[in-house]
Amino acid sequence: MIRRLLRSREAILLLVLIALFAVLAVKVEGFFDAYNLLERTRYWVAPGLLAAAMTFVIATGGIDLSVASVLALCGIVMGMRRRDAGWPMPAAAGAALAAGLAAGAANGAVISRIQVPPLVVTLATMSLFRGAAMGLSQAKAIGDFPPGFLWLGQGSLCKVPGTGANPADLPVPLVILLAVYALAWALMHRSWVGRFTELIGENETAARFAAIDVRRLKFALYASVGLLCGFAALLHTAIYATAKADTAAGMELEAITCVVVGGTRISGGHASIVGTLLGLAILGILRFGLEMAGVSSQNIIILVGIVLVATAIINERLGRSAVR
Amino acid sequence: MEPPILTLTDIDMSFGGAPALRRASLRVLPGEVHGLVGENGAGKSTLINIATGLFRPDGGVMEVAGEAVRLGSPPDAAKLGISVVHQEADLFSQLSIAENMLLARGLVRGPAGLIDWPGTYREAERMAGVLGEELDVRRQAGGLTVARRMMAEIAAAVGGGAARVLFLDEPTASLTQNESAHLFEQVRRLRDAGVGIVYVSHRLDEVLEICDRITVMRDGHTVETRPAGDCTVDSLVAAMVGREMHLETGPRGGSEGEVRLEVTGASGSGGAFRDVSLQVRAGEVLGLYGFVGAGRSELAQALFGLEPLAAGSATIDGAPLRAGSPREAVDAGLAYLPEDRLVQGVFRTHPLRTNASVAILRRLSRFGLVRGGREREQTRSIIDEMRVRSTSMEQAIGTLSGGNQQKVVFGRWSATNPKVLILDEPTRGVDVGAKAEIHRLIRDLARAGTAVLLISSDLPEVMALSDRVSTMSQGRITGTFDPVKDGEKAIASAAVPRASGADSGTEARATNGRATDGRGTNGSATGGDTAAKGGRLPAMRELGIVAFIVALAVVMTALKPGEFATRQNLVDILANAAMPAIVAQGAILIICAGGIDISVGSVLGLCSAVAATAARGGAPPALCLGLAMGLGCAAGALNAATSLLARIHPIIVTLAGISIYRGLLVTFTGGKDIQELPHAYRMLADGNLLGVPKVVIYVLVITFVAHLVLTRTLAGRRVLALGGSETAARLIGLSKARLTLFVFGVSGLLVGLTAVLDTAYYGSVQANTGEGMEMKAIAAAVIGGTNIMGGRGSALGGLLGAFLVAMVYNALVLLAVSSFWQNLFVGLLILLAVTSDTLLRRKGAAR
Repeated sequence: MIRRLLRSREAILLLVLIALFAVLAVKVEGFFDAYNLLERTRYWVAPGLLAAAMTFVIATGGIDLSVASVLALCGIVMGMRRRDAGWPMPAAAGAALAAGLAAGAANGAVISRIQVPPLVVTLATMSLFRGAAMGLSQAKAIGDFPPGFLWLGQGSLCKVPGTGANPADLPVPLVILLAVYALAWALMHRSWVGRFTELIGENETAARFAAIDVRRLKFALYASVGLLCGFAALLHTAIYATAKADTAAGMELEAITCVVVGGTRISGGHASIVGTLLGLAILGILRFGLEMAGVSSQNIIILVGIVLVATAIINERLGRSAVR
Repeated sequence: MEPPILTLTDIDMSFGGAPALRRASLRVLPGEVHGLVGENGAGKSTLINIATGLFRPDGGVMEVAGEAVRLGSPPDAAKLGISVVHQEADLFSQLSIAENMLLARGLVRGPAGLIDWPGTYREAERMAGVLGEELDVRRQAGGLTVARRMMAEIAAAVGGGAARVLFLDEPTASLTQNESAHLFEQVRRLRDAGVGIVYVSHRLDEVLEICDRITVMRDGHTVETRPAGDCTVDSLVAAMVGREMHLETGPRGGSEGEVRLEVTGASGSGGAFRDVSLQVRAGEVLGLYGFVGAGRSELAQALFGLEPLAAGSATIDGAPLRAGSPREAVDAGLAYLPEDRLVQGVFRTHPLRTNASVAILRRLSRFGLVRGGREREQTRSIIDEMRVRSTSMEQAIGTLSGGNQQKVVFGRWSATNPKVLILDEPTRGVDVGAKAEIHRLIRDLARAGTAVLLISSDLPEVMALSDRVSTMSQGRITGTFDPVKDGEKAIASAAVPRASGADSGTEARATNGRATDGRGTNGSATGGDTAAKGGRLPAMRELGIVAFIVALAVVMTALKPGEFATRQNLVDILANAAMPAIVAQGAILIICAGGIDISVGSVLGLCSAVAATAARGGAPPALCLGLAMGLGCAAGALNAATSLLARIHPIIVTLAGISIYRGLLVTFTGGKDIQELPHAYRMLADGNLLGVPKVVIYVLVITFVAHLVLTRTLAGRRVLALGGSETAARLIGLSKARLTLFVFGVSGLLVGLTAVLDTAYYGSVQANTGEGMEMKAIAAAVIGGTNIMGGRGSALGGLLGAFLVAMVYNALVLLAVSSFWQNLFVGLLILLAVTSDTLLRRKGAAR
């Protein structure tokens, strides 16, 4: 049992996470501070939500490069509805969700109906949705959101007991993120939806012959991803208190990196939600530690890219020797 | 007796620990037709692949004309005169027949090493002439019938004159009778010319007819080699299975039950089957016998909702079956066991449990959640009922034997308790034991009241299991028989395709998996190949862009007369089109090879910064250019190498590259702009030459060279071949790694060059220099007709595409649309180009 556990991807990732944490705690001054660490997790929330969505997309053997652009667009739609159209905050948030759903459905329609490869479709819409966000907002930031809304990103539920003299707050968005991951886990690993998602990625033809409604599932998948991007836009906007068209640039790469690090097979067929969450934590902690150590943000971006590519190479080399 | 031309002795080969060949030996004499028979999985294909250089054996000796040889790749074998023609001739459907014939063996080249197309066509015609075949070698290979493609391949294999051994792998599997007869004629002719021919086939009567000697394989061994005269079908079968095989004939269920499946006047949308009517009663097994391509699988798949029915109807227990999808068919009580287990049946790396439960998974769920206990229970009962041999239900199904895999897929469907079960070649490629068990299961199901439609090309199986047998040929039901009263002969002859058949769209559709045109043939060997329309398409595309550009120009002149139609504005458009046009030429090359690079914008920025810094430091312009191009080339090669090593799509590698190279740029410049570049450097791109902006001249020269590379050089043709079909490219020994490095490297050189031109023209480098360039270049490429999936590209189209993109940008500026919308338009252009391309191609394929 223990041997099987040790051979599992998730166990290895957990060990890496603990080791990384220990090294950073010893080497980097100011890193090991519960308050700072927990506050920091607010910035994981948007990439974390995109990564959860991306896990499903990659499990089908697809990819969605447009997620960060959709997020930016949804934030702008929400901000403009509120500022220019004078909509109440809940209605504006609803508009953001609707925009996300529409954007995702557009991706899904072209991918599942016209059967253009997702790579190409979402490469085009990555530019298209970003352009829409830039054009609509004329690249100006939109702020002035009500405190109740900002609470979603900046609020805390309670103090975390046992965290010393400066007790840490439990961030609202972290709780939401974990709840979404719990749902995603159940959906991926305990429901027929997740099973079918993986089977489509393993062998799409066989999935059709096994009476899985591949087209409908794919359409629903990309549409849901859009919806989740809209939801991520709410939290992201609340955390930063502004909606900006150029926000979350490169976040699709972060999301893909979390998924690949987490052990989901890049060509589809096998996915791990827990792995993606661990990937998110590893990347987040690495980033935080390096920032605390004074590494420039440019170099950290370089590092994220290298982590992605290196893990992909390791996966490929290890994967070939394993049974699968 | 002459000494053998090819000898394989004691060849061993295993894949991942599973032995495929065990001390297999084969001796081929010159001027003989040597039959190679055996059940699926006996090792025939592996032996062929070793003899033709695709695999390297673990042990054993190969000799050609008495000399020991070691083959590294298929071209090595070809040099020794050893070639293979595969059953599904895997050609490059986008290339011409002549190019397909000569790509591996050497296209005719003229001055400067450029390909001489007329010479190549003449050479291909000459090779076809050796066989006495008349082929229009200029035509695209995609539109040919299987028979014609095979002749082209044989002509290519022997036409060079050095052919010594020719392997034919299941050559007649998809041929009509006349086509087969023609093939035999050619085989005999080659034999008489001294070629050693190895003829691999399941059709034992054919093997006995054409072969001089026959080698039988079983379980990776070569069991025996005997003169064909000493063999009979029975003796061959006995040697293949290791014992005389007697199919148990079970008690027949009879035809007394209610009609469960009734099909009336059904026709397929592609013409694969026409006006099919049949009935299957409860407890009855209706055999549907016919050859590959008779339209049986297409009928089954249409009933199962995978393809639409063009006409006719079906009912299950009297209720109309209108299956728009397999799920609806399953809900109506239909189940379908597909014919190709590996492609259509199993999820190879998933556990046995997942494979067994997939069709009933929703039924086993509550609120969407799968009830694990019930799933295991069901799987257990499927394993028991089917007698699947496995260590655990969590074992990956790919690790089971073929027979056990098939039993699991069978169990998947029987677990749905179907009213009607369609079985498509249920025992193809399974061992004898599993075959007997599957037969038992079929009888049990029928006895329990299921109506079974048994599609099989295995006549003894059909005879043993069926209560009635319908024969199908060329898409039509040609008769219905009582197997006991009417006997094998009547059934077999009713299934034989008639050569005069007027409407055999069936053949072409069913067999030309990759063919572009379903109109088919008239069934004879000289039959009508379908016209290749693809050749005209690119030219039309380029005219279309020109028309669009002219229309846009007219509109803009009307809207903004004083601003659009000015010399300065035209120069601006040209200059703005120039940089993306150069980058696009690299992108086209990469996309043609089946890749993509979205990091070029960042690489461009990085190269710009390095070149500009060097220029300010006093380096001569030529050195700056060399630095930038070298750096660009290195970045491209790094992208390619990483993608190859990690086996991930280059779009993901280069997505990472976007931030990596941009990060390096910012680190290098410290985030500061670089300005005030030396005059000599600026003069590289600034100013005019003969009254035309220099950059325009550069673009024209580069486009012309790129055009030559794509159309007239071996490297360019290889790139197109690789992008068209990776499998076919591997078979002719093209190295994916080398070609990928080549295209990314060349693209990098062009990016480096563009970086220098860009900085020289605009005179500065910022942190965001080059941003968005990748999208403009890709837009230019796909608008210009380059197929985003690879295999087709046009340099001239790319230039026009870049010009169109620049014009759209210019129009937006003149119409005072804010530049913030630009990304939306470039994304929209890409999406429109790719979507319309896909739709047009699909329309072309459906025609």
